[in-house]
Amino acid sequence: MDPETALAIFKGGIVLGALYALMATGLSLVWTTLGIFNFAHGAFIALGAYVAWQFSSSDAMALPILPAVFFTCFVMFAVGGIIYFLLVKPFERRADVVLIAVITTLAGSAIIENGLLLIWGPRAKQIQPFLSGELELAGIRLAMSEILLLCLVLIILLGIGLFLRYTRPGRAMRAVAQNRESAQLLGLDVPRLYAIAFGLSALTAGLAGSFVGTIRFMNPAMGAEPLMKALIVVIFGGVARFSSPIYAAFVIGLLEAFSIYAFGLYWAPAVLFFTMIVVLLVKPEGLFGRYQRTL
Amino acid sequence: MSDVVLEVRGLSGGYEPTQIFRDVDLEVTAGESIGIFGPNGHGKTTFLKTLSGLIDPWAGDVFFTGMRLNREGQRGSRKWRNFNYDAVTRRRMDPKQIARAGLIHVPQGNLLFPELTVIETLAVAETAATDRRGWALDEIHALFPRVAERRNHKIRFLSGGERQMVSIAAGLIAAPRMLILDEPTLGLSPRIRQELCAAIRTVRETGLSIILIDQDVAFLEQIIDTLYLFDHGRISGRMERDEMPDHEALMVMLFGERH
Repeated sequence: MDPETALAIFKGGIVLGALYALMATGLSLVWTTLGIFNFAHGAFIALGAYVAWQFSSSDAMALPILPAVFFTCFVMFAVGGIIYFLLVKPFERRADVVLIAVITTLAGSAIIENGLLLIWGPRAKQIQPFLSGELELAGIRLAMSEILLLCLVLIILLGIGLFLRYTRPGRAMRAVAQNRESAQLLGLDVPRLYAIAFGLSALTAGLAGSFVGTIRFMNPAMGAEPLMKALIVVIFGGVARFSSPIYAAFVIGLLEAFSIYAFGLYWAPAVLFFTMIVVLLVKPEGLFGRYQRTL
Repeated sequence: MSDVVLEVRGLSGGYEPTQIFRDVDLEVTAGESIGIFGPNGHGKTTFLKTLSGLIDPWAGDVFFTGMRLNREGQRGSRKWRNFNYDAVTRRRMDPKQIARAGLIHVPQGNLLFPELTVIETLAVAETAATDRRGWALDEIHALFPRVAERRNHKIRFLSGGERQMVSIAAGLIAAPRMLILDEPTLGLSPRIRQELCAAIRTVRETGLSIILIDQDVAFLEQIIDTLYLFDHGRISGRMERDEMPDHEALMVMLFGERH
């Protein structure tokens, strides 16, 4: 492998990692806060892509891309909250809520995906790139849109991290995640905080979706594969801290990029899963810390 | 008769399908503090959890500062209970509303929020106090100097006693009109016990009503005005402070023989 190829693959891995970081953060946010696994996360990714397309495409509302993405975030946050109140909240007091949430979120995922098909039809769509043009840096060519993606992802993840750490609702969310009963006894509004967590998760999924929509053709089931990757990232990295799935995402992104080069496209998932199993055998709590619910 | 702050009428409850306590009547007047004494496993903690809305009551009413804390009516029929979804059977008590009304419960063996620092925990408690102001941070630090010392430590690195202090501090910041303390000295060393006891007495002297559960009669005596005996899920006796016997005599009263 000559250095130029290596650099190109590295760049691809980083971009992929940024996308995975965005997806996995949303997933782990719901897992750590509510203690349930949201199988509708993949559908959120697809929905985000379609909503962004609706706002930005010249066939639809034709907004400039940045306001379009901004409105998409807004819509997705609301969708996340609504989905929480419809699919999770009614079952929260049951002892088997984890299992029930698996089924209800799967159902939600099916409903959203079929809804997408009904509303936007089966024709493949693509979102226009956020920025055009390229930048030549130390021998590698970076598309401007990739740079923008990296920056946006980092800003958003940093923003959520700061929100959790320094704001009142963020702190309250962490408190609820760590000890729901104590939080209730202190008078925190638990359903509202859960809805915020779900909303933020959907927001990151929608953003990830709108990025994916610029790279690939969109179809309603486009979220399934990213969901799988996000799951690998979450298990691989652990959820001890807000940041641990983010590191893991970049590791997985790079691993995927290099294994596609070394073993071919069809073997890359096998390599990922194999690595994940090895990591789980050696370090069951995940690569970056304890595999338990904290935030 | 002075005004009643907390009034519990015929409260029954438990974990489906097992009833833990039944027909509990209780009255706390303004500024009064009561103690609940009873053997382990007789439903004291379950009763308190019901009082603060963590568990839905089966029957009975709770009034606090003239406000009804529960929805009227009994729990649903057996058929309805089988559909125990929030969507179908509405909760009869809401812990958030109860805490915001000022009935603050400091639970037993409180783990609090392990990954939050002490100061963050107190800030969270402050978030909860919406329309009234609770204790200020300075007052808390004066009451528990240890809490001030450890303010930047995470809760999970604190000792049991320190954690209990932070729990009580959080309760005080959340603007209580009445504080429920469930065995605050459980498993603590005698020295820490003394420290906590002194602090709780200071809190008591500010005029705040306290409901205190403890197994230690000597400790209860220092804080409370009225003692309720809790026995097999019922209140089996009520006595004023000056008629309170010692531990041995209480056990005889509860079990009918020397224990």
